[in-house]
Amino acid sequence: MTGRENMSPMRPYWSPYLAGVALGLTLLATYLLMGFGLGASGAFAQVAARLEGAVAPGRAHANPYLVGYLEAGRLWAQWIVVEMVGVIVGAVLGAWTAGRFAWRLEKGPRIGAGRRLLFAFIGGATVGFASRVAQGCTSGVALSGGAVLAPGAWAFLATFMAGGFVTAWIVRRAWR
Amino acid sequence: MSWPLDLEGVVGLLAGVAFGFILERGGLGDPKKLTGLFYLEDFTMLKVMFAAIAVAAAGIGALSLLGVLDLSRIAVQPTYLWPQAVGGLILGVGFALGGY
Repeated sequence: MTGRENMSPMRPYWSPYLAGVALGLTLLATYLLMGFGLGASGAFAQVAARLEGAVAPGRAHANPYLVGYLEAGRLWAQWIVVEMVGVIVGAVLGAWTAGRFAWRLEKGPRIGAGRRLLFAFIGGATVGFASRVAQGCTSGVALSGGAVLAPGAWAFLATFMAGGFVTAWIVRRAWR
Repeated sequence: MSWPLDLEGVVGLLAGVAFGFILERGGLGDPKKLTGLFYLEDFTMLKVMFAAIAVAAAGIGALSLLGVLDLSRIAVQPTYLWPQAVGGLILGVGFALGGY
Protein backbone atom coordinates (compact mmCIF):
# COMPACT_ATOMS: atom_id res chain seq x y z
CA MET A 1 0.00 0.00 0.00
CA THR A 2 1.56 3.21 -1.15
CA GLY A 3 -0.89 5.48 0.59
CA ARG A 4 -1.31 7.52 -2.57
CA GLU A 5 -4.90 6.45 -3.05
CA ASN A 6 -5.68 7.68 0.45
CA MET A 7 -3.91 11.00 0.05
CA SER A 8 -5.34 11.87 -3.32
CA PRO A 9 -8.72 11.07 -4.82
CA MET A 10 -7.21 11.59 -8.28
CA ARG A 11 -8.18 8.92 -10.78
CA PRO A 12 -5.29 7.47 -12.77
CA TYR A 13 -5.02 8.27 -16.48
CA TRP A 14 -6.59 5.85 -18.93
CA SER A 15 -4.40 3.40 -20.76
CA PRO A 16 -2.98 5.35 -23.71
CA TYR A 17 -4.24 2.63 -26.06
CA LEU A 18 -7.79 2.96 -24.70
CA ALA A 19 -7.56 6.75 -25.06
CA GLY A 20 -6.21 6.28 -28.57
CA VAL A 21 -9.06 3.98 -29.61
CA ALA A 22 -11.63 6.40 -28.12
CA LEU A 23 -9.97 9.32 -29.92
CA GLY A 24 -9.85 7.32 -33.16
CA LEU A 25 -13.60 6.59 -32.93
CA THR A 26 -14.29 10.30 -32.28
CA LEU A 27 -12.18 11.23 -35.28
CA LEU A 28 -13.93 8.58 -37.40
CA ALA A 29 -17.36 9.90 -36.36
CA THR A 30 -16.27 13.44 -37.27
CA TYR A 31 -15.09 12.33 -40.72
CA LEU A 32 -18.32 10.36 -41.21
CA LEU A 33 -20.65 13.19 -40.14
CA MET A 34 -18.72 16.22 -41.41
CA GLY A 35 -16.34 14.99 -44.11
CA PHE A 36 -13.33 16.47 -42.31
CA GLY A 37 -11.41 15.75 -39.13
CA LEU A 38 -10.59 17.41 -35.82
CA GLY A 39 -8.47 20.54 -35.48
CA ALA A 40 -7.28 23.12 -33.00
CA SER A 41 -5.01 25.88 -34.32
CA GLY A 42 -7.56 27.02 -36.90
CA ALA A 43 -9.78 28.28 -34.09
CA PHE A 44 -6.97 30.50 -32.81
CA ALA A 45 -6.42 31.86 -36.33
CA GLN A 46 -10.16 32.62 -36.62
CA VAL A 47 -10.09 34.56 -33.35
CA ALA A 48 -6.77 36.29 -34.12
CA ALA A 49 -7.97 37.47 -37.54
CA ARG A 50 -11.09 39.03 -35.97
CA LEU A 51 -9.02 40.64 -33.21
CA GLU A 52 -6.83 42.30 -35.81
CA GLY A 53 -9.97 43.21 -37.75
CA ALA A 54 -11.32 44.98 -34.65
CA VAL A 55 -8.08 46.71 -33.63
CA ALA A 56 -6.68 47.59 -37.05
CA PRO A 57 -9.44 47.07 -39.62
CA GLY A 58 -7.52 48.83 -42.40
CA ARG A 59 -4.48 46.60 -42.07
CA ALA A 60 -6.52 43.44 -41.59
CA HIS A 61 -8.64 44.01 -44.69
CA ALA A 62 -5.54 44.83 -46.75
CA ASN A 63 -4.12 41.40 -45.88
CA PRO A 64 -5.39 38.75 -48.31
CA TYR A 65 -4.75 35.95 -45.81
CA LEU A 66 -6.76 37.57 -43.02
CA VAL A 67 -9.56 38.62 -45.38
CA GLY A 68 -10.32 34.95 -45.93
CA TYR A 69 -11.12 34.62 -42.24
CA LEU A 70 -12.89 37.97 -41.95
CA GLU A 71 -15.23 37.13 -44.83
CA ALA A 72 -16.05 33.67 -43.42
CA GLY A 73 -18.91 35.15 -41.40
CA ARG A 74 -19.71 35.15 -37.71
CA LEU A 75 -17.16 33.67 -35.33
CA TRP A 76 -19.70 31.31 -33.78
CA ALA A 77 -20.66 30.00 -37.21
CA GLN A 78 -17.13 28.61 -37.66
CA TRP A 79 -17.15 24.87 -37.01
CA ILE A 80 -13.62 24.75 -35.61
CA VAL A 81 -14.32 27.56 -33.14
CA VAL A 82 -17.35 25.74 -31.75
CA GLU A 83 -15.32 22.50 -31.66
CA MET A 84 -12.52 24.26 -29.75
CA VAL A 85 -14.99 25.58 -27.16
CA GLY A 86 -16.11 21.96 -26.82
CA VAL A 87 -12.48 20.87 -26.31
CA ILE A 88 -12.11 23.28 -23.39
CA VAL A 89 -15.42 22.13 -21.87
CA GLY A 90 -14.50 18.46 -22.36
CA ALA A 91 -11.02 18.87 -20.89
CA VAL A 92 -12.36 20.69 -17.82
CA LEU A 93 -15.02 18.00 -17.44
CA GLY A 94 -12.40 15.26 -17.73
CA ALA A 95 -10.10 16.87 -15.18
CA TRP A 96 -12.95 17.71 -12.81
CA THR A 97 -14.52 14.27 -12.77
CA ALA A 98 -11.08 12.70 -12.29
CA GLY A 99 -10.32 14.93 -9.28
CA ARG A 100 -7.50 16.61 -11.20
CA PHE A 101 -8.95 20.09 -11.54
CA ALA A 102 -6.47 22.39 -9.78
CA TRP A 103 -4.56 25.63 -10.18
CA ARG A 104 -0.98 24.59 -10.79
CA LEU A 105 1.97 25.01 -13.12
CA GLU A 106 3.47 21.81 -14.52
CA LYS A 107 7.25 22.20 -14.76
CA GLY A 108 10.57 20.59 -14.02
CA PRO A 109 11.99 21.05 -10.50
CA ARG A 110 14.94 23.14 -11.67
CA ILE A 111 13.13 26.02 -13.38
CA GLY A 112 11.34 29.02 -11.88
CA ALA A 113 7.71 29.80 -12.58
CA GLY A 114 8.56 33.05 -14.37
CA ARG A 115 10.95 31.42 -16.82
CA ARG A 116 8.57 28.51 -17.37
CA LEU A 117 5.79 30.96 -18.25
CA LEU A 118 8.14 32.93 -20.52
CA PHE A 119 8.98 29.66 -22.32
CA ALA A 120 5.26 28.91 -22.57
CA PHE A 121 4.62 32.32 -24.16
CA ILE A 122 7.47 32.00 -26.66
CA GLY A 123 6.50 28.38 -27.36
CA GLY A 124 2.86 29.31 -27.86
CA ALA A 125 3.72 32.10 -30.31
CA THR A 126 6.08 29.74 -32.16
CA VAL A 127 3.40 27.04 -32.42
CA GLY A 128 0.89 29.64 -33.63
CA PHE A 129 3.27 30.82 -36.35
CA ALA A 130 4.20 27.26 -37.35
CA SER A 131 0.56 26.21 -37.57
CA ARG A 132 -0.04 28.88 -40.24
CA VAL A 133 3.05 27.75 -42.19
CA ALA A 134 1.85 24.12 -42.18
CA GLN A 135 -1.89 24.95 -42.45
CA GLY A 136 -2.54 23.21 -39.16
CA CYS A 137 -1.07 21.72 -36.01
CA THR A 138 -0.66 18.31 -34.43
CA SER A 139 -4.46 17.92 -34.44
CA GLY A 140 -5.44 19.12 -37.90
CA VAL A 141 -2.39 18.05 -39.88
CA ALA A 142 -0.77 15.15 -38.00
CA LEU A 143 -3.80 13.43 -36.41
CA SER A 144 -6.58 14.14 -38.90
CA GLY A 145 -4.21 14.09 -41.89
CA GLY A 146 -2.57 10.90 -40.67
CA ALA A 147 -5.95 9.16 -40.49
CA VAL A 148 -6.59 9.84 -44.19
CA LEU A 149 -2.96 9.03 -45.05
CA ALA A 150 -2.18 12.53 -46.32
CA PRO A 151 1.53 12.57 -47.29
CA GLY A 152 2.05 16.02 -45.76
CA ALA A 153 0.90 14.69 -42.37
CA TRP A 154 3.79 12.24 -42.25
CA ALA A 155 6.33 14.84 -43.37
CA PHE A 156 4.95 17.11 -40.64
CA LEU A 157 5.19 14.37 -38.00
CA ALA A 158 8.79 13.53 -38.90
CA THR A 159 10.06 17.11 -38.73
CA PHE A 160 7.88 17.83 -35.66
CA MET A 161 9.74 15.06 -33.81
CA ALA A 162 13.10 16.38 -35.02
CA GLY A 163 12.35 19.93 -33.84
CA GLY A 164 10.98 18.65 -30.55
CA PHE A 165 13.90 16.36 -29.75
CA VAL A 166 16.56 19.00 -30.44
CA THR A 167 14.75 21.79 -28.57
CA ALA A 168 13.84 19.59 -25.61
CA TRP A 169 17.52 18.70 -25.24
CA ILE A 170 18.37 22.43 -25.05
CA VAL A 171 15.57 23.31 -22.59
CA ARG A 172 15.82 20.14 -20.50
CA ARG A 173 15.48 22.15 -17.27
CA ALA A 174 11.98 23.25 -18.21
CA TRP A 175 10.63 19.72 -17.90
CA ARG A 176 13.10 17.37 -16.19
CA MET B 1 -32.02 35.84 -30.15
CA SER B 2 -32.20 32.55 -31.98
CA TRP B 3 -30.46 29.33 -31.04
CA PRO B 4 -26.88 30.05 -32.08
CA LEU B 5 -25.89 26.55 -33.22
CA ASP B 6 -27.13 24.62 -36.23
CA LEU B 7 -26.85 20.82 -36.50
CA GLU B 8 -23.25 21.01 -37.70
CA GLY B 9 -22.44 23.25 -34.74
CA VAL B 10 -23.93 20.71 -32.34
CA VAL B 11 -21.78 17.99 -33.94
CA GLY B 12 -18.76 20.29 -33.58
CA LEU B 13 -19.48 20.99 -29.94
CA LEU B 14 -19.95 17.29 -29.11
CA ALA B 15 -16.87 16.24 -31.11
CA GLY B 16 -14.88 18.90 -29.26
CA VAL B 17 -16.16 17.80 -25.85
CA ALA B 18 -15.19 14.20 -26.65
CA PHE B 19 -11.80 15.33 -28.02
CA GLY B 20 -10.98 17.39 -24.91
CA PHE B 21 -12.31 14.80 -22.46
CA ILE B 22 -10.36 11.94 -24.06
CA LEU B 23 -7.12 13.94 -24.31
CA GLU B 24 -7.36 14.91 -20.64
CA ARG B 25 -8.22 11.40 -19.45
CA GLY B 26 -5.44 10.00 -21.61
CA GLY B 27 -2.92 12.25 -19.86
CA LEU B 28 -2.34 14.63 -22.78
CA GLY B 29 -3.38 17.65 -20.73
CA ASP B 30 -0.09 17.33 -18.87
CA PRO B 31 2.82 19.04 -20.67
CA LYS B 32 5.35 16.99 -18.66
CA LYS B 33 3.85 13.81 -20.13
CA LEU B 34 3.69 15.35 -23.62
CA THR B 35 7.31 16.51 -23.59
CA GLY B 36 8.33 13.20 -21.96
CA LEU B 37 8.44 11.80 -25.48
CA PHE B 38 11.40 14.03 -26.33
CA TYR B 39 13.37 12.65 -23.35
CA LEU B 40 12.39 9.06 -24.27
CA GLU B 41 10.69 8.74 -20.87
CA ASP B 42 6.97 8.90 -21.65
CA PHE B 43 5.50 7.64 -24.89
CA THR B 44 1.85 8.44 -24.08
CA MET B 45 1.53 10.98 -26.89
CA LEU B 46 2.81 8.54 -29.52
CA LYS B 47 0.63 5.67 -28.26
CA VAL B 48 -2.55 7.77 -28.17
CA MET B 49 -1.86 9.40 -31.51
CA PHE B 50 -0.92 6.31 -33.47
CA ALA B 51 -3.71 4.20 -31.96
CA ALA B 52 -6.17 6.96 -32.94
CA ILE B 53 -4.77 7.24 -36.46
CA ALA B 54 -4.89 3.45 -36.90
CA VAL B 55 -8.49 3.16 -35.65
CA ALA B 56 -9.75 6.12 -37.69
CA ALA B 57 -7.90 5.05 -40.86
CA ALA B 58 -9.15 1.45 -40.56
CA GLY B 59 -12.66 2.70 -39.81
CA ILE B 60 -12.71 5.05 -42.79
CA GLY B 61 -11.48 2.22 -45.02
CA ALA B 62 -14.02 -0.25 -43.66
CA LEU B 63 -16.97 2.18 -43.87
CA SER B 64 -15.97 3.01 -47.43
CA LEU B 65 -15.88 -0.69 -48.41
CA LEU B 66 -19.31 -1.13 -46.82
CA GLY B 67 -20.59 1.79 -48.86
CA VAL B 68 -21.48 3.86 -45.77
CA LEU B 69 -18.83 6.51 -46.39
CA ASP B 70 -18.10 8.17 -49.73
CA LEU B 71 -14.33 8.68 -49.86
CA SER B 72 -14.66 11.42 -52.47
CA ARG B 73 -16.47 13.53 -49.88
CA ILE B 74 -13.65 13.23 -47.35
CA ALA B 75 -11.37 16.26 -47.15
CA VAL B 76 -7.75 15.14 -47.42
CA GLN B 77 -5.18 17.77 -46.50
CA PRO B 78 -3.50 18.91 -49.73
CA THR B 79 0.21 18.17 -49.93
CA TYR B 80 2.55 21.14 -49.71
CA LEU B 81 5.61 19.19 -48.73
CA TRP B 82 8.02 22.02 -47.85
CA PRO B 83 5.56 24.18 -45.88
CA GLN B 84 4.33 21.12 -43.99
CA ALA B 85 7.87 19.89 -43.26
CA VAL B 86 9.15 23.33 -42.23
CA GLY B 87 5.96 24.09 -40.28
CA GLY B 88 6.29 20.76 -38.48
CA LEU B 89 9.90 21.53 -37.56
CA ILE B 90 9.05 24.98 -36.15
CA LEU B 91 5.99 23.57 -34.38
CA GLY B 92 8.16 20.92 -32.74
CA VAL B 93 10.47 23.65 -31.44
CA GLY B 94 7.53 25.60 -29.97
CA PHE B 95 5.95 22.44 -28.57
CA ALA B 96 9.11 21.50 -26.64
CA LEU B 97 9.41 25.09 -25.36
CA GLY B 98 5.82 25.60 -24.27
CA GLY B 99 4.70 22.05 -23.55
CA TYR B 100 1.71 21.87 -25.91
